[in-house]
Amino acid sequence: MSMLLEVSGVSVSFDGFRAINNLSINFAPAELRAIIGPNGAGKTTFMDIVTGKTKPDEGTVIWGDKNISLLGLSESQIAREGIGRKFQKPTVFEAQTVRQNLAMALKTPRGPFAVLMHKKTKPNGARIEAVAEQIGLTNEITRVAGELSHGQKQWLEIGMLLAQEPRLMLVDEPAAGMTPEEREKTTDILKEAAKTRAVVVVEHDMEFVRRLNCKVTVLHEGSVLAEGSLDHVTSDQTVIDVYLGRAHA
Amino acid sequence: MHRSFFLQNPSILWFLTILAGFTVGVTLVSEVTGVGLISTSFVKTLGKTLCLCLVAIAMDVVWGYCGILSLGHFAFFGIGGYAIGMWLMYARTEGIVLGSLAGQPIPPTPAEISDAIGNQIFGVVGSSEFPMIWAFADNLFLQLLMVVLVPGLLALVFGWLAFRSRVTGVYLSILTQAMTLALALYLFQNDSGLRGNNGLSGLQNIPGYEDFSQATISIVFFITSAIALAAGYVFFAWIVSGKMGSVIKGIRDNEARVRFLGYHVEGYKLFVFTTTAIIAGIAGALYYPQAGIINPGEIAPIASIYLAVWVAIGGRGRLYGAVIGAAFVSLVSSWFTGGGAPNINLGFYVIQWTDWWLVLLGFSFVAVTLFFPKGIGGLFDLLVRKQP
Repeated sequence: MSMLLEVSGVSVSFDGFRAINNLSINFAPAELRAIIGPNGAGKTTFMDIVTGKTKPDEGTVIWGDKNISLLGLSESQIAREGIGRKFQKPTVFEAQTVRQNLAMALKTPRGPFAVLMHKKTKPNGARIEAVAEQIGLTNEITRVAGELSHGQKQWLEIGMLLAQEPRLMLVDEPAAGMTPEEREKTTDILKEAAKTRAVVVVEHDMEFVRRLNCKVTVLHEGSVLAEGSLDHVTSDQTVIDVYLGRAHA
Repeated sequence: MHRSFFLQNPSILWFLTILAGFTVGVTLVSEVTGVGLISTSFVKTLGKTLCLCLVAIAMDVVWGYCGILSLGHFAFFGIGGYAIGMWLMYARTEGIVLGSLAGQPIPPTPAEISDAIGNQIFGVVGSSEFPMIWAFADNLFLQLLMVVLVPGLLALVFGWLAFRSRVTGVYLSILTQAMTLALALYLFQNDSGLRGNNGLSGLQNIPGYEDFSQATISIVFFITSAIALAAGYVFFAWIVSGKMGSVIKGIRDNEARVRFLGYHVEGYKLFVFTTTAIIAGIAGALYYPQAGIINPGEIAPIASIYLAVWVAIGGRGRLYGAVIGAAFVSLVSSWFTGGGAPNINLGFYVIQWTDWWLVLLGFSFVAVTLFFPKGIGGLFDLLVRKQP
């Protein structure tokens, strides 16, 4: 099976600290993947590299059917290529309504002129409402995003990701600060999304990862330590030593 | 732009109605109609104020909506003034020179006429040569084009260099201020080709309209300024509403997030920076014929800082706030500095407002920032419970 994203041999250092060390990791076009690892394992830096925020010192990042290198593209170009990102801390546009947030994310032409001349259309309105429905914010659609609860902001940001219609979704700690019911719903949204695209979830919470029931990649000191089902990686002795052992200590 | 645009933004109709009423009212009681309740010089002050309101809404769009604290927009305003001033001065001097040479037995050659005009204009800086930048000064149409092109291109090049290097926040403000200062210092030089610190003068005399009184001319400029403000207001309201408004407000609140949504943030900033610079230039071109004189002091960084203060006091992120701020502060300022405000005698010290006005303004600015971050315009929110 050809891969959607192939990261190979990537390294990056900040002031002599190797945040990512010869990392190689691949994602299929439609899969759900969880990335776990202790703090400083390079999870966020990995996302920064894929989304163009950080340029690696060495290695390649190859994307899509046409095998484009993402390293020469800017953040906005990478986003238009079909890679969406949700941040650890929910970052929605708090001064604007849920509908405006979703409309901005909706997959439509991104150039200034097209945006200036943009007219609201019925199909686009329907797409926004469909996403709002999916994330359970139909009744909040006219509310200002800043008024939403923490969990609702998380969902709105996931909704913005869905509205972007990316082929790869990078989701950083989607369940942080959520109640158990909210977590369950978030799991459902992500599983549903992963049927048609690649969804990569970075998460600390093992219970949440177990619920995702997907392939797990363990990062440690900037490279892949183990990969496989959650049961497989949690029974791996090296993983227990560096991560789980420490977490339970 | 269709009907629903106005229906969705009722504040625009309110603004246009009030502006129209104000314009008609002032015209009716001015010296033109013979009522003379408002003097010609005050009509000019009001006309100038309308131009300041126009540059203030431009500032509000670039700062209040897009988050770029530019300290260069009054420089663009001044450049617009210089561009139109060159034609006004050239054409008027040409008229005078032709008049005085007309009586001579041998008709003057074009070179002689050009020399005479050059002497008149540049004698004050010890030169009679026309600098290159005056090449189009004899052509009103081209010079009007300069009003738009020069600020636009300067903003485009400057903005492109600054935004692509991802210079943001206070660093960008410093950079724009440096640009403004450099421009002012350059214009102060006698060999800048724009008469150094003398600036351009006599701009209130409109060539070809010498037979009209200043009362008439002032009203024409006043009404034109009002129309320009109305058009600028509707134009900017259209830009900041809808999806464009969403994106630029998004850039203000979280630039990186907008980038990860796939928007080319630098392109949007450049669009906003350049468009507002052009409108600032147009506002300046309308302002200086009413002021009568422009000199490099007008472009000094402090003017651009005032502009930011007006917008802050009026209320950032709402267009009418910028209008209120610019009108209120500039009118109050001319009242205080023009000797209108009575001095306060404390017995041991006399507070003279001409000196103390800046202190009062400074305190007001601090007070507004601390206690009314939404400015005067924010008071409207208390009156009208506005839905987003």
